[in-house]
Amino acid sequence: MRIFVQRSDVGEFRRRYRWMVLAVITCFLGLAGRLAQLQLVEGDVHRAQARRNIVREGYLATTRGVIRDSLGRVLAANRPAYNVYVTPGRLDMEKAWPLLVKLTRLDDAERANLEPKILERKNLDARDRRRLQQILVKVDIDRDAVAYLETHERELDGIEVAPSPVRYYPFGQLGAHLVGTMREVSREELGGPGERGYRSGDRTGAIGIERRWESYLRGQRGMRKTVRGAGRRLAPAALEAKYLEEPRRVEPIPGRDVSLTVDIELVEAMERAMRGQLAGAAVVADVRTGRLLGALSKPSFDPNVVSGGQGSKAVSDAFQRLYADPLKPTLDKTISAAYPPGSTYKPFSALAGLADGLLDPHASVDCRGGYEYGKRYFRCTGVHRRVNLHEAIVQSCNTYFYDLGSRISIDRLASIGLDFGFGVTTGIGVNPEARGRMPTRGWYTRRYKEAFRGGFTVLSAIGQGATTVTVLQLALAYAALANGGTVYQPQVVRSIETSDGTVVQEFPPRVRRLVDVKPEHLGMVKTALHGVVDDRHGTAYAERIEGVDVAGKTGTAQVSHVTPRGVDPDRVWYFNRDHAWFAGYAPAESPEIAIVVLIEHGGGGGKNAVPVAMRVIRDWQKLKEARLSARGPKDQPARGTL
Amino acid sequence: MRERMAFRGSPGIDMPLLAAVMAIITAGLVNLYSATSVYADDAQRVQLADIYVSQIYWVVVGTLLAILVASIDYRSFERLAIVAYLGGLVALGLVFVLARSIRGASRWIAFGSFNFQPSEFMKIVLILVIARYVHNDPKLEPRTLLDLAPAAGLTLVPVIFVMAQPDLGTSIIYMLTAGSMLAMTKIRTRSLLTLVALVGAAVPLAWNYLLLPYQKDRVTSFLNPEDDKTGSGWHALQSLTAIGNGQLFGEGFMQGTQNQFQFLPDQFSDFPFAVLCEDWGFAGATVLLGLYCFACIWAIHVASQAKDRFGAAIAVGVGANLFWHVILNVGMAVGLLPVVGVTLPLFSYGGSNVVTMMVGLGLLMNVSMRR
Repeated sequence: MRIFVQRSDVGEFRRRYRWMVLAVITCFLGLAGRLAQLQLVEGDVHRAQARRNIVREGYLATTRGVIRDSLGRVLAANRPAYNVYVTPGRLDMEKAWPLLVKLTRLDDAERANLEPKILERKNLDARDRRRLQQILVKVDIDRDAVAYLETHERELDGIEVAPSPVRYYPFGQLGAHLVGTMREVSREELGGPGERGYRSGDRTGAIGIERRWESYLRGQRGMRKTVRGAGRRLAPAALEAKYLEEPRRVEPIPGRDVSLTVDIELVEAMERAMRGQLAGAAVVADVRTGRLLGALSKPSFDPNVVSGGQGSKAVSDAFQRLYADPLKPTLDKTISAAYPPGSTYKPFSALAGLADGLLDPHASVDCRGGYEYGKRYFRCTGVHRRVNLHEAIVQSCNTYFYDLGSRISIDRLASIGLDFGFGVTTGIGVNPEARGRMPTRGWYTRRYKEAFRGGFTVLSAIGQGATTVTVLQLALAYAALANGGTVYQPQVVRSIETSDGTVVQEFPPRVRRLVDVKPEHLGMVKTALHGVVDDRHGTAYAERIEGVDVAGKTGTAQVSHVTPRGVDPDRVWYFNRDHAWFAGYAPAESPEIAIVVLIEHGGGGGKNAVPVAMRVIRDWQKLKEARLSARGPKDQPARGTL
Repeated sequence: MRERMAFRGSPGIDMPLLAAVMAIITAGLVNLYSATSVYADDAQRVQLADIYVSQIYWVVVGTLLAILVASIDYRSFERLAIVAYLGGLVALGLVFVLARSIRGASRWIAFGSFNFQPSEFMKIVLILVIARYVHNDPKLEPRTLLDLAPAAGLTLVPVIFVMAQPDLGTSIIYMLTAGSMLAMTKIRTRSLLTLVALVGAAVPLAWNYLLLPYQKDRVTSFLNPEDDKTGSGWHALQSLTAIGNGQLFGEGFMQGTQNQFQFLPDQFSDFPFAVLCEDWGFAGATVLLGLYCFACIWAIHVASQAKDRFGAAIAVGVGANLFWHVILNVGMAVGLLPVVGVTLPLFSYGGSNVVTMMVGLGLLMNVSMRR
């Protein structure tokens, strides 16, 4: 104990104590300052983050609008598809799995694909979460299987049936290009503002009306906030009241319904009439409004498969097949492709010639089977001898129009084309539109970098050369011929409605332009067009149907320059054969509809396109009569223009 | 410090110290209950919901040991220090042989069902050994580096053992505690500057050769918390959110969402302070910091009143040990320091830690009672 008596050296420490106390206080004040910063200054930021951590914003699905035809028939709707999932960790591979295989009719390839995956997860460590991750077994199983699985739910642990909405097209291939298809949103489209943004797995319109009217059809999804892992310590209701900011729930808004101008029965008739043809397109439009009554592009495809109703594998398989098809089934041939119009363009050349005084309707040209211009010889379809304008159109004499082409300027031919809506997009707003081409002197000069040759004009006058048009453009131009020169903006959508049927928006017809054409000139051309079908020498006469009153023009558009003359057309390679056209309107005297039929590589227009058009018009007449008598003679048709 | 408190000369129980410690213990248990209540409904970890009960046992054990330690005159520990030190090194060595690895670190020796962590007890032993060194080497002239070398050696041996476990937090505590004790002595200015230079040079060396990848990750993610929101930076960010979420008066007892919804990892070992801040807000947190601050200052006060260098050094050692634990743990929780596993005294769950802290406070009480 002695050594511990007060020692002088304790004083060595004395001087340090003050500094130590100061250091301690400084450090604790520093911590308190930091706490004040975090809790008092930045407190709101951190509280907001803490809330974000525990609050989940769930989405409430909306329903996509329905697409209907002009008579209210559903062309695109929604139906639940029942998909089967299994949870590997809970699935009984001995009993439940074989039963499921039988119920869902899995084939051996699917089984061989799925079973290793399920077993691999099943054999994982008991705590591994992947054991409980569901595996999709089969999409869209049939109702009987759903019913069985639901009634035996208890015995079939680890099997779950989940409904997911699928777009359904009751008419399948009919009008598929126009009505459209769905696809999964791409990565670039994800996000976007609030409830309107796309989420992964959402579907969006891929083509057609589904795409163009996506923003209307889609609707707006709702939102619901929940507390993550609620129900642990506090009742969910108490938690939600405490932690959730208003609004806690936003109801979804269903998509708008879209009513089309198209009559699906007429499209069906068009499809029937086109049977036997490999590829082509047809359009029927109302000459008084420019509304599309029917559109068909062939070959078509099943939008139900392409839109994912049968699973993503079916989609990729279908696209692989469609893209490999040389007949290009995915192309909307009514709108997205331009073709040489051939002789169907002659009425427009004639109108230009008449307007400029270059044609005397009574003067004749002697057709000896061709026309010599410069060093070249342009062939005619036959030897027509002396033909005037009327006869030249009725018999489709090229020589007469070569003669016109030798005297008229190519820019004049182009300008009348533009007047009738060729060479520019029509603004239909569905699917990418081909513009077609009305070649001018300037165009040729830019394109070929050599002196412009008069031969180009000669070819343009008969709708060959570099001239191309779309089926839709041609239909609208013939509608303008029929209605006295009004070029309408084509319309497919008649009105937009809410899901309860209230009309939100209607689309009245819109005139694009009035063509300045003399009625007597138009009258001459129209008489000639009637003659094409009605006159014994007319190119469509042989294929006319008694009682079907039509005026129009046939066309045989040359595709290949190499096909020698006089070779049996059936022996030419398919893709070098001529396109067969018919463009016209009906009834001939008081026109209501314009019709264009294109048979791709169909050969002669008179022989191949005309019968199709005749059958369509005959069926259109029948439909019209049936509806009028069903409504009673006094009733005005409530919807549709038939 | 000239002022003499009223109980100077009445070597009874140091009531202010006792009251502060009792308050901290109570707050710690209440907070631990809140921190572990999140497991009550968690089937897989429901046993964790009851660890506050075993914490109570450890507090009781620690208190009994503290009473025992306080009742024997501290001067008799001077002779025991070296023996305890050697025994401690043996135990630290045994860790590597009988290692029970938890999360990649071997820190525990299993005695039947309970795990004993020798590095914790080494903290007390180190305080005693350094105190003994300071006590037996009185000097009037300023000390040179050579004078300090024995003390540095005594510290570095256990530091190396613990670094190898690896346990960065505890080795830092050893160095800071011993350093604080040596800072009481008068050191030559030139030596001090040399020391600072040496430490400065050692940091990059330690970074390159001593620190393990996960330890480096913690430092880098501390320096750039926004870069790494899911990896190492996750703990730190969630802690900051929890603390800030407390605002002025807190979410309420067992109402802190960061804790209750399990966004705070290690909330009962590394981040109990975040739980406290979230439940009780700035008000509760400053009260606790005030208690710790008082305990530290009180330890310095006890040292200043001690009748010999040994007692003074022990008091400073215990105070420094407490101080550095609090500063490192809270500094880490509030995002001022990188995440190193240092406990919050009497708040963090852990038997060895609680017992060690209590024994240390018993020593402090011992010095306080015998001045």
